[in-house]
Order: sequence, then C-alpha cells, then structure tokens
Amino acid sequence: MAAAESPSAALRRRDLCSRGIRLAGKMRADVVDLLDAYVEQQGLDASASVAAVEGVPLAAVERWDEQTGTQRLLENLAAYRAFRALLAQMLEEQREQLGEADAGLGRALAAVLLQVSAFAYHLEELLRLESRGIPGEEGDEEEEDGPPPPPRLSLFEQKLRGLGVLRELAQWAVRSVRDLRQLAKPSLATGAAPSLAESP
Amino acid sequence: MWKNSSPRCLLALAILCLRNLMYGQEIGSPGDPQNLKCVTHNLHKMLCTWDVSSRGRHGQTDFCYTTNDLTPQVCFKTKERRVEIPIPESSITVRIKSSGTAFATREFVIHQKDISFIPVTPHILSLMPDFPTSTLNLEWSDNGSVFPYGLDALWQIQILRKEAMEVVTQVTYYSKLTHEDAILSWSWTSDMPLECTSHYVKIRCYINATQFVGPKDWSDWSPEKVIPGKDTEPGGSGVFPLDRVVPVGSDLVFCCVHEEEEHIKNMTYGSKSYTMMQLSRRSHAIRVLNASVSNTSGTNVVCRLENGLEGSVVFVGYAPDIPQNLSCETPNFLIIKCTWKPGRPSGLYGERRTKYSLFERTSGKNVSCEVNEVSRDHVCGFPVLPDQKTYDFILGVYNPIGQAQSSLLVDITQRVHPKAPEKLTVTGNNSTSIQLRWFINGSFAETRLLCQIEISSSHSERKLHNISIPGRKSSTYTAQLNALRPDTKYQLRVRCSAADHFWRWSDWSRGLEQTTSEAPPARGPDIWRERSPSGESVIVFWKPLSLSETNGKIVSHEVSCYLLERLLERKIVSEPSNSTEIKLGKSDCVISVVARNHAGSSPPSRITSVELPSDNVTTDQAVAMGNGINISWDSYPNMTCGYIVKWCHSSGSEPCSVDWQKFPSNTTNAVIKSALFKPGVRYNFSLYGCKSMGYQLLKNITGYMKELPPKTAPNFIVEETSSDSILVKWEDIPIEECRGFLKGYLLSFAKGEKDALKPRLSESGNPELKVNNITDLTKKSMKIFDLQGKTSYQLELQAYTAGGLSPPNSLYVVTKEDSVGLIIAILIPVAVVVLLGVLASIFCYRKREWIKETFYPEIPNPENSKALQFQRNICEGNKTLKTLEMNPCTPNSVEVVETQSTAPKIEDTEMMSPAAETTVPEDGSDSEMENHIVVSYCPPIIEEEISNPPTDEAGGSSQVVYIDIQSMYQPQIKPEEEPEIDLVTTAGYKPQMQLSISALKIEGHSPVEEELDKTAGYRPQANTNAWNMGTPDSPGSVESNNENASFGSPCSINSRQFLLPPKDDEDSPKPINTGWSFTHFFQNKPND
Repeated sequence: MAAAESPSAALRRRDLCSRGIRLAGKMRADVVDLLDAYVEQQGLDASASVAAVEGVPLAAVERWDEQTGTQRLLENLAAYRAFRALLAQMLEEQREQLGEADAGLGRALAAVLLQVSAFAYHLEELLRLESRGIPGEEGDEEEEDGPPPPPRLSLFEQKLRGLGVLRELAQWAVRSVRDLRQLAKPSLATGAAPSLAESP
Repeated sequence: MWKNSSPRCLLALAILCLRNLMYGQEIGSPGDPQNLKCVTHNLHKMLCTWDVSSRGRHGQTDFCYTTNDLTPQVCFKTKERRVEIPIPESSITVRIKSSGTAFATREFVIHQKDISFIPVTPHILSLMPDFPTSTLNLEWSDNGSVFPYGLDALWQIQILRKEAMEVVTQVTYYSKLTHEDAILSWSWTSDMPLECTSHYVKIRCYINATQFVGPKDWSDWSPEKVIPGKDTEPGGSGVFPLDRVVPVGSDLVFCCVHEEEEHIKNMTYGSKSYTMMQLSRRSHAIRVLNASVSNTSGTNVVCRLENGLEGSVVFVGYAPDIPQNLSCETPNFLIIKCTWKPGRPSGLYGERRTKYSLFERTSGKNVSCEVNEVSRDHVCGFPVLPDQKTYDFILGVYNPIGQAQSSLLVDITQRVHPKAPEKLTVTGNNSTSIQLRWFINGSFAETRLLCQIEISSSHSERKLHNISIPGRKSSTYTAQLNALRPDTKYQLRVRCSAADHFWRWSDWSRGLEQTTSEAPPARGPDIWRERSPSGESVIVFWKPLSLSETNGKIVSHEVSCYLLERLLERKIVSEPSNSTEIKLGKSDCVISVVARNHAGSSPPSRITSVELPSDNVTTDQAVAMGNGINISWDSYPNMTCGYIVKWCHSSGSEPCSVDWQKFPSNTTNAVIKSALFKPGVRYNFSLYGCKSMGYQLLKNITGYMKELPPKTAPNFIVEETSSDSILVKWEDIPIEECRGFLKGYLLSFAKGEKDALKPRLSESGNPELKVNNITDLTKKSMKIFDLQGKTSYQLELQAYTAGGLSPPNSLYVVTKEDSVGLIIAILIPVAVVVLLGVLASIFCYRKREWIKETFYPEIPNPENSKALQFQRNICEGNKTLKTLEMNPCTPNSVEVVETQSTAPKIEDTEMMSPAAETTVPEDGSDSEMENHIVVSYCPPIIEEEISNPPTDEAGGSSQVVYIDIQSMYQPQIKPEEEPEIDLVTTAGYKPQMQLSISALKIEGHSPVEEELDKTAGYRPQANTNAWNMGTPDSPGSVESNNENASFGSPCSINSRQFLLPPKDDEDSPKPINTGWSFTHFFQNKPND
C-alpha cells in the first residue's frame, strides 16, 4: 500500500469502499432471504448446527483488529472467490437434483452468485487501488495437474454443505461491511494496522 | 481243544450258515468288521465305511465285493476303513478280511435300499451385495456333472442377520440338474439396508432322485458367507440407505450407524420422530410404514447424535403413468412431432425425473426425448425416415421406480399439420384483384396443399377462399383473389393443410392489409330538384353514393343543365356538398349530375326541372310503424314514371336537408325509413308523381316514425266556479310537444286538499275519482257539474296520443259556499225552539192548577214542597234549594227516579239497596210525570242500609243506591274535616270510612255545624280533575263543573267508565263534548 496516498486515490478508495459496503449490505439481505428459502425448500431444520464447510474460510478471525487493510482485502477476496466456486457448485447441484421443479430457488441462488462475483471484482478493484497484485485463483494454478475430484457427497451432505455455505456467506457479508468501513477510514490509507477494539 | 470243540464248531457254523441264510446281510462274528454303512453323493459310487475292533485297526484289510455270481469278485487291499465302490443295481456282497485274524473276515450283503443318498455340501461361489438396492446376489454351482442323469434339486438358502445371527429368512430354490455343472444364482432384497448390520448366507441341497430307493437326505449347510455391515467397520457411520428412490406406500427401514460411544438422541423421517430399534451396539433403525410422496428435494432422514447429526435423503414417488393422448404429426415432412399428456406426476425431479424415449419399431430407431417436466404437454421429435410413411411408435417412459409405455401406429401423410405460412406479401393488385405470395417451410413435394385465404374488410363480412395447390419443397406459393371491391382496404391472412388427407389447419399467417385501387363510380347519383321559392332558380340535390358504388373517394359532382341538347350551364361542385343552385329564370331544362373520383366519372343521372301544376292538394296523416312511416296514396294512372316521396330533415337550427325516395308506378304505399327519423318528431312528406313532362305534387302527408306520449300536459285554468260546478279551460299543446297525433284529453277530478305529497289522481285509487274523456279536439273548455259547495277539488288534465298519456297538469279549486243551506241551517233550529216554546206554553196552561198547587200553594209552606222535602232528605241543612248545588254535598250524582208508584223505579237493579226504600210521596199529578231529581251522593264501596232511617213524616224517603265508581280510592280525609263527615253521615250517607259514627243523629246540629255542612259532604276519593272528558272545550278547569260532569253517572263495576254521560240540566254547564259547531252543519265530514 502506498505510504502517501494522493487525494484522488483516497477519494476513489472511499468511493469504492462505500459502494462495496452497499453491495455487501444488499448481499447480506439477499443471502438471509435465500437462507430462509433454502432451509424450507430442503426440509432442513433452521437451527441445525452444521460443521465447518470444507473450503469456506471462516469469517470469524482472531486479532481482527490487528489486520492491515491489505490483509483484510486479501482475506475477503479469497473468501468470496471460494464462495463463488461453492455457489456455482450449489447451483449446478440444484439444477441436477431439482431440474425445473423449483426455479425460484435456482434464480435466487444465481442472483447471489452474481453478487458474490461482483463483490469479488469490487475487492480486486480495491486491491488494485492499493497497488497490490491480484493473487491468482487456485483453479488457475492447479490447472495442469488438476486437483483430485472431491468425494461425491450424499444428497444430505450436499444440503448441509449448502446451508453452511450460505450461513458463512451471511457472516462474511457482515465482516466485509466492517472491513470496508475500516478501510474507508483515512487513517487506514497505509498498511498499518489500526488500533481498534472492534471485532466482527 | 479243537477235537473237543469241533462238534461245537460245526454246530456254530451250521447256525451261522442258517442265520446267514435267514438274514443274508452280514456274515461274521462280533468284534470283526462291522457296521458297514454305504453312502452315495453322486449316485455313481458309494462310500462304504465300517468299524473294526481295536485289534484290527492297524493293518491291511482285504476288501472284496461282487455284485452277482456271474461277475468276478473284485478285491483290493486298503489300510483305511472306507472304500468307494460302485453302487450295485440291486445288491452287492462285500467281504472284508482284516489281516492277522482267522475269523476276521466278514461278508456283508448290501442292498440298494441300504445305501443313503446325501448330496455333496454345496459351495457358495460368490455373495455380492448391492447396497443401493439392499440386494444380495448369491452364486453357487449345482455340480450337475456328477450325476448320471437329470434330477430335480432343491436348494435351501438361509439368510441370517446381526451378530447373533438371527434367521431372517429361509427360502427353497428349485433347479433341474443337467449333465453339466451349472452356476445357479439367487437374489434377495433385504427390507433393511445391508449397511445397517452384517448379513450371512448359507445353503444346502437335496436331490430328488426318485429312482434311487435308498434313503435320501439334505446335504450339510455350506459355510456362511457374510456381508459385513457398516457397524463393523471402524469409523463407519451414517444413515442408510443413502439417496434411495422408492415408490409411494413403501415400508422403509432406515438405520443410523454410529460410533460405539456415541449416543443417538433421536431419528426423524421428515419432521416426525420414530421409535428406534437396536440392531447392534453401533446401529439403530427406524421403520417407516406407508411412505407418502416426498417434496421436490426429497425427505430427510436425520439421526441426531450427541455431537452432530447424520442424515440421508429418500425420494418417495410414483412410477410413471401411462402416457395419454399420444399423437404424432409432421409439420414439414422432415420431422415427426409426437405429443402426449404425462398423466399423474411422478413426484420425482431432476436426475430422478421421468424420462421418455421414442422407439420406432419398423426402423428400430430410438430417440430419447427432452421434455419439460413442468409442462402439461410433452413433445418429442422423431426424424422422418426416407421412403417410410407408416411409423409404429412406442413411447417408453421410465423413472427409478418403474416404467410404462404407449404405442401409436401412424401414417404421416395423413397427419400433416403445416407450420403457419410466412412472408405473406402482395405481389400485384388492381381495383378488383390482389395477388398474394407466401412461404411454407417443409418438404411437401409429394402432397397437395389446401390453403385458405381469409379476406375481410370493414365493409364486408369475413370471407374464406380455399385453393388447392401442389406442394413443393420449402417453396413459395401464390394465389390471386378476384372480384374485390375497388378502393377497399382488405385484411388478408393464409393458413394451409394437406389437401389429400385433411388433418389440421396450420396457424394463421401474420395478417396483411392491402387496399385495392380506385375505379370510376358505378352509377350516377340519385338526384332531385326543387324550384326556389322565387321560382328563378332550381336547387339540385343528389344523394351520396354508397360505399359499394363510389369505387373510390368522390371528389366532386358535375351538374349540367341542358335544354334540347344544348348546355345551358355546368357546375363542378366539390365534396361534400350535395346540392347546388342553377339559375334558370322561368325556363326549364334537363339536369344531369355526374359523380367523379380519381379514377373517372360515373354515368350521368338526369331529371327535368319541369313541375306540373296541381290542384286540390290534401294533407293526410301517415301511420307510424315504429321503425318507419307508412305512407299510402291512391293510384294515379297518369304517373307513368313513378312517384317520389320527398321530405325534409331538420336538425336544430340548421335548414332542413331534403331527402326523397323514388317508387315505381305500380306502388301505392311505402314505408319510409331513415336513420335520421326520430320517435316523436313530426315529419312532412310531399308525394310527387312523375310524368314524361315533369313532376306533379299530388298530396302532402304528415307522420311520425313512432308516436310518443305528449311531452307536456296542456295548460288549463278554472274559468268559473260555483257551489256545484267548475268551468275549466285549456290551451293547445305545441306541435313539437305533442310527439304524436293528439287523440284527446282526459280531465279527472276528485275531492282533495292541496298536498304536495299526494299522488296523482290517476294513481291515487280514489274511489270518487271521475274522469272525462274529451275526444273533440276542437273543444277547449269543459264544465264539471254536481259538485259540493265549499269543497276542495283536485283537477288533472292530460292529453293523449297513440303513444300514450302526457304527464298530468293539476289544479286545486274550492267550490263556493251554498247560501241556501246556510239559511236552512239557521231557520230550522229557530223554528224548533219556537215550536217547543209554544208547546210548553200550552202545557203550562193546561197544567196550571197542578203547577200552582205544587210550586205556588196559596199558603206558602215549604214543608209542602215536595222538591224541598226531598232536598232535605238528602242533604238536610242546606240553605238553598238548588237542585244541582254541589257544594254542600259530595260531587257524585245520583239520579233519583220518583214515580207515583210505591216502589221506586230504579233503572239499574244493581244499584238497588235491599234495605233502603225510596218512597215517593203521593202525588195526584199526571201519571206521566216523573220527577228526575239529580242529587249528589257519596259513593261507598259497600252498599249499606241506612241504619237510622229518617223519620220524615212525609215518608217520601228515596232509596238511594251508592255505587263507588272509584272504589279503589280511599277517601282522603283531613283530620279537621271529621266533624263535617259526621254531619254528612246524619244526612243519610255513610262513607265507608266512617261507619262507626253513622248512628249519629242530626238533631244536634248547631249553626256552626250547619256552616260546616256547606263545605262538608262527600269528597270523592279521587282527583276529579282526572275525570276530564277529554274534549278540548270541556270545562275541566272549573272544579265544580268538573265534579258535576263526572258524578251522577252509573258506572261499570269492572271499569271506571261512565255508562251514561253526565246528565245536564239547565243550571249545569253546557255539555263538555261539544266539538260541534254551527258550521259543521254544512259539512259532510264532522271533522272537517
């Protein structure tokens, strides 16, 4: 991150942050609605505890307040890239299992996937503004060998995983709002860690 | 020893031989080879085993056998105690000689029935589990090659489950053994998922060798084969079965496999919790009966453990329904589209959805169908195959639960349903024809097409033109439409079908609009002419041509005037004028009118301006027809070229527009119709006759299309009023408001006051209503007679036409007072009074002696006055002799009837006291005379005899009966009034409250008491003010009068109403209920 930020860059960053906050807020609202629809449609118990989903970075993190802005952006980006892949997989499974029977849920899933993609792109923009290189996606790096295909989950496991993904995505939307608020503060124009007691 | 024993040996040998002869089976002695048993496993050879004593166990044994005497004995040495030898056909003799002992030789005769047949223990070749279907697949060999011939084999298979190896099921499998080894297989589907716990399988067999006479038995059980459950795997866990698809109504078992130390909280199927049964320490199961259809995402089976949950999803649905209404057709001879209705939904979606395939049997071609699950109608395409017209389709339907099919044999040349024609265009047109072109995608080269062209315009109804055209391959088609109208906008569209075998029309093509070009007007306009009022010019009228005749937009009319082929004047009149004026002066000409549009001119219409003179032109009335006006006229033979009826429409302030209608010569009546005619409007018609020389006015006619009731009522006034008659006059209704030919007037009248709320007379139902129908329209007045004087009358006047009555016009009028009646009303009472006076005078004159003796004796002695005597009896001590003096006494009145008879006549026997007697003094007067004396009396509750009758020497004591008309009231006596009561009592009245003092005598009256008497007497127990008679002019305010008005009347015991009205005499006030006044005498109704 640049040590001295030009006024236009600061403005641009603040603008991106505020737009990102709006995006994350909207995404959070949509994901919460989608969660309700998903739980009902899949016949799940809304209070069911789901173990951590493999591949989904946790929103809760220790020493959140000690993170630098770049760290926040990178973690966010990694998370939303993972969500993008997971949601795409969910969408595919949904189509496979339900066909055209429940198009409403599929549309809602696709809409959230679109928002996640947009938010990931938004995060990349912020990272570019911070003069940071955009990390490549895991899929690109492992393209040649190809990762071993994950063991096929049972349908119930797929349902639970979907529930976990959406729950975590809702958490991440909240965290992203807070991260972007931190980032929008002028004191965080540099990569120095803020001294805030706030924690997501 | 031998010598001594030889006889015994011989004996023994003989016995042995005898025994051998007797039993023929075993030869030898105990301790030698014995218990020879032979068992066969394959019906070829048998395995014989025997026992030997301990001495012979070690060493070689000579074994010989022979089947009969002819075959040589077969011997061999063996160290074992079992040999395999062929099975004899009947019996076999076996000699077993153990080595080292002289008598160790034993001979056995073995019959076939002594040989047991026990098949070899079967061996399970494989036991394969199919976990998704919970099926065990078992394979084993039947060892058929070892048996000499084909035999029936029975296989008993046992399934065991759990660690305790509980038998779940045991089945018997039949097979036929061939000469070869066959691998048999058997499948068994478990009601419990195989993952739930370990399953074991073992098998044995029995071969039904019917020709074998020896005992047969089952083989031994094979060793168990096991399919271990997940509860035996370390770390194995989960809910089973996984992602199963089952039919609705199934009974399902789900198990939850978990770690041994974990505890299951509950297991649910959907939202319902079920009772668990333990399968093993690591496995529990639930049983769900009659499963109902799942939702789209399946039914979750959840096993809640203390630390987490496991689950599975089950899909419960239906097997596919048989496709209904399968129908196949081709839109283009390139593809066949088959449609059907799927029937009952399977309830399965996504990868478990119902799938369809179309199989054509003739060609053997199969295509899978991609159908929309949600759509009601399913469609599948099948390619048209070369040189194949008939297709035998089988629509296969399948899903994980089941399958179904439906078949259809179809000739596609008879099932052509083309697509909607495209690219519809007009390639050429003129004023009466249009050439169309369109394109149909498809290969119709081998068939004809029937195309239907729909043509419609705003002026005509929809028309369909069918054309049959040879089909081509993806080609355009053309058609020409003729006999169209010029300058007309047409809407065109096309659809097609197969001509040879009609099946279905295609959809309509996109619509196309096309307007034909113009043509000259078809005919000349209908014309008429009129001389101007001045006669200097002629106004020429023409009617616009109908749309079917204009053939285009009329731009102008050309009006020419010819006199003997010489053009006098020509005018071009632009649209929209439909008349023009030609100045001719007094001369005449032949007028020609031509209509023009962009395409040309119409043929000319001609008319002469000559108007022949006419005389005796009458005006008739036409008959309204509702939708027109019926005009009739006499036949005029001179009118060679017909008749013209001309009329004029006027609308508002604009000058009227001339209209006319022509009729042939033989017509004598016509119904004139016009859209401009309005009901209730008068129209004037002129009938012209047509001659070769010109036109002649024959008569005028007025008429209505429809007659309506007059819009308003005629205005009328009352011209004159007397005590018994009214003269009414009215005015004419304006023609515009008549709305029909006036037929007459209705004048209605009845008595009635002016009241805004009163209904109309005609609607009131007044029985006194009188109606006069005036049909003489010239009459404008009418006099109504026989009315009552000084009475209000309501008059209504209505006019009427054939259409009905006008609204009424009302008037109220009061007739004058009848003076003669008034005079009579005054004179009659006066005359009566005078007459009575005369009669009284005559009476007094004739009875003057009696009067004198009675009222004015020569020696005035009040004691001799009967009236006074009586008065004293009643209210002794009164100062005055007022007959109706109410003050000294109580206000009730008693009518005392004094007659000459000894027994007084009292009208109401109820009022007669049994003890008291009223003695009337003797009187020598006229027997007709009765003294009606009204006295006050005090009404007691109880009739009471006067205990102390007066000692009046006149003996004229009257018997008075007291009836309490207010018996419910107790006398309200003030303490200070008590002395008065005492005095009253002595006067003959005993108030019910003072019975104890009724015996007091009256001699001791002091003046003070007398004075008290004035005010004493009976006081009514009720407020007499309340006894008002209820008339507005009753003197209720005057207490005395009021009392007097109330008392003296007998009254009902049961009620408190007076039975007789209060009797008045001269001194009493006037009757209370008068309500009558002199003016009433003249009125019919008393209340009026």
